[in-house]
Amino acid sequence: MSFHLFTGLLACLVAGTLVIIVAFLGLYAWPAVRLNGFSFLYKNTWSLGFLYRNPITVHGQQVLRGAHYGILFLIVGTLLSTLVALAIAVPVGVGAAMFLAEGLPPSLQTWFSFFVELLAAIPSVVYGLWGYVVVIPFLGHRVFPFLARHFGFIPFFGGAVGSGYGLLTSGLVLSLMIVPLITATLRDALVAQQADLREAAVALGASRFEALRTVLLPATRRVLIGGSILATGRALGETMAVLMISGNAVNYLPGNIYAPISTMASFIVSQLDSALTDPTGMAVRSLAEVALVLCLISIVVNGFARILLYYEGRQSARVA
Amino acid sequence: MSLLPNLRPVRNHRLAWMGGVLALALAASVSIGARTTMAAGTINILETGSSLLYPLFQLWVPVYTHTDPGVKITPQSTGSGTGISQAVAGIVQIGASDAYMSNALVKMHPLLNIPLCISMQMVNYNLPGLNKIHLRLSGPALAGIYSGTIRYWDDATIKELNPGVHLPHHLIIPVHRTDGSGDTFIFTQYLSFSTPSWSNNVSYGTTVTWPAVPGGIGAEGNPGMVTATQDNPYAIAYIGTSFQNAIEKQGLGIAVLKNRAGNFLLPSARTAEAAAAVMVPKTPQDERISLIFAPGAESYPIINYEYALVSRRQPSAEMAAALRKFFTWAISRNGGSTPHFMAAVHFVPLPAPVVKLSQAQIAQIQ
Repeated sequence: MSFHLFTGLLACLVAGTLVIIVAFLGLYAWPAVRLNGFSFLYKNTWSLGFLYRNPITVHGQQVLRGAHYGILFLIVGTLLSTLVALAIAVPVGVGAAMFLAEGLPPSLQTWFSFFVELLAAIPSVVYGLWGYVVVIPFLGHRVFPFLARHFGFIPFFGGAVGSGYGLLTSGLVLSLMIVPLITATLRDALVAQQADLREAAVALGASRFEALRTVLLPATRRVLIGGSILATGRALGETMAVLMISGNAVNYLPGNIYAPISTMASFIVSQLDSALTDPTGMAVRSLAEVALVLCLISIVVNGFARILLYYEGRQSARVA
Repeated sequence: MSLLPNLRPVRNHRLAWMGGVLALALAASVSIGARTTMAAGTINILETGSSLLYPLFQLWVPVYTHTDPGVKITPQSTGSGTGISQAVAGIVQIGASDAYMSNALVKMHPLLNIPLCISMQMVNYNLPGLNKIHLRLSGPALAGIYSGTIRYWDDATIKELNPGVHLPHHLIIPVHRTDGSGDTFIFTQYLSFSTPSWSNNVSYGTTVTWPAVPGGIGAEGNPGMVTATQDNPYAIAYIGTSFQNAIEKQGLGIAVLKNRAGNFLLPSARTAEAAAAVMVPKTPQDERISLIFAPGAESYPIINYEYALVSRRQPSAEMAAALRKFFTWAISRNGGSTPHFMAAVHFVPLPAPVVKLSQAQIAQIQ
């Protein structure tokens, strides 16, 4: 077999996997898609129905009486926790990258960057355990009551602080997990910028920070967007850590930033065993539908990033 | 889009080194593991499920190893939902569950539901200053708390049940299980059998659609329920009696529950045996029956059979024999059901007529 054919086959295999996974998910979930209809996306009821009564037949499909599947709370929980994580991680990540690239002597740079990248190497379950043991009691008993008391006037910051499990905790821990992705990519891009850009800016009288802010950062905007999208993908799909700290709220939307939530990824894990006790199999198929929606959201986010990068690229080309 | 950071040579080197160590360790552990299983020719029995039954299995296993050295039993605490689904899938030999399988499920997967002992469930709370007092609670009051119609500890319903107790005006944090759970099953049965509105809207199951109660939290397994209650003042939770020692150690409250006859009772061997005595004659051949909310003045309202879900057909005669021997030992008053074991987890041994029924089912394992 020629080299060309062989590598081409491998490439097709990789690309085909995505199509196959989505196709199989769709096929498996199809009875659930038909049963649940569009209300799957905008209703707040996840109910397996009466597990201990006999199934009934709807549209030729065995279902449990009282079974309803609507996952708005999961979609909201997933998007909000990712949003909170990004709101924290992007500024912190950019700041850290600037410091690592410009504010440190080269000898220390290597070491600091090494540590930042190691953060990305920690398995997510470790973050989850740490969040469960350390972060939740600390936030729930000290930080959240303080925030609610002094910043309660900000929308969604007031009200009951609950127990530490919830949206803000998930966002915080997620942000820690994605900061290294943003920092590492941006730092490398900043360091890779040609020295003449920096020298030109400084020659025009810019301070070090001004040179960074007005010349170097805009030049690396593409990388920042790319890094953030990569981070978004990770936050959307993060499972274990969120499962351990989100409070696993079911069937209601968070009232404020401290409230318990659930995300699609963690919900699939936490509900699979229960779903398997549904004799009609509809619960598992509905979980597959959740997975399908999660897949679609991730694909949309990635597609959006591509479009953004494309326009960004054309713009910088014009400027250059 | 090449976004991943360039791996620095330093890191590569380190990673390679660490990888090498890891691989060596893995190889070593695998070879040791292989040797131990190969040498004795032991029969491995996997048990998974109920976190309520788990503490008892942990007590049983080391002792049983002396009785039958050829058998290695590995118990896991994963929740009854997992116990049912993994027994159905045939991944484990024993699925442990506080809930019997539903009619529809048994029809699809005809597993034996063998009771091994009787357990109880407590309702626990973390009320600063009041944990020493056994608060009185009823099915309707608990249904109100878990459906969000009773929001504060000093609600009229709870006050009425507890005259003279100074209850705080604080939001109640109801804690429920997020994993498929037999504890959820028996707790929601208590609510269903005592409160018609709960029966119509939520009903019972190993997983139910919990009404949305703002501030309510979910927890994994009985250990998670204990931790959540302990970490959250003003929380309330339903926890199996095998965790009573942990509850007492943490200084959490144990409620007295209203039974069908209208009496308020604490979980104890006496009240559990009273309830069992009423329900034993009603137990059918396949032993799938709820013992919840039993009649009788002294009957504790939440007791249940602890089930082992087992396939009638085993892959080998050795495995079938090993399982029969283990179950026979487990339900025997000279084996796993001695007062020594039962008292440690606050369980009650099966009454003699039920032992007979269980023995008949055990004999079907071939």
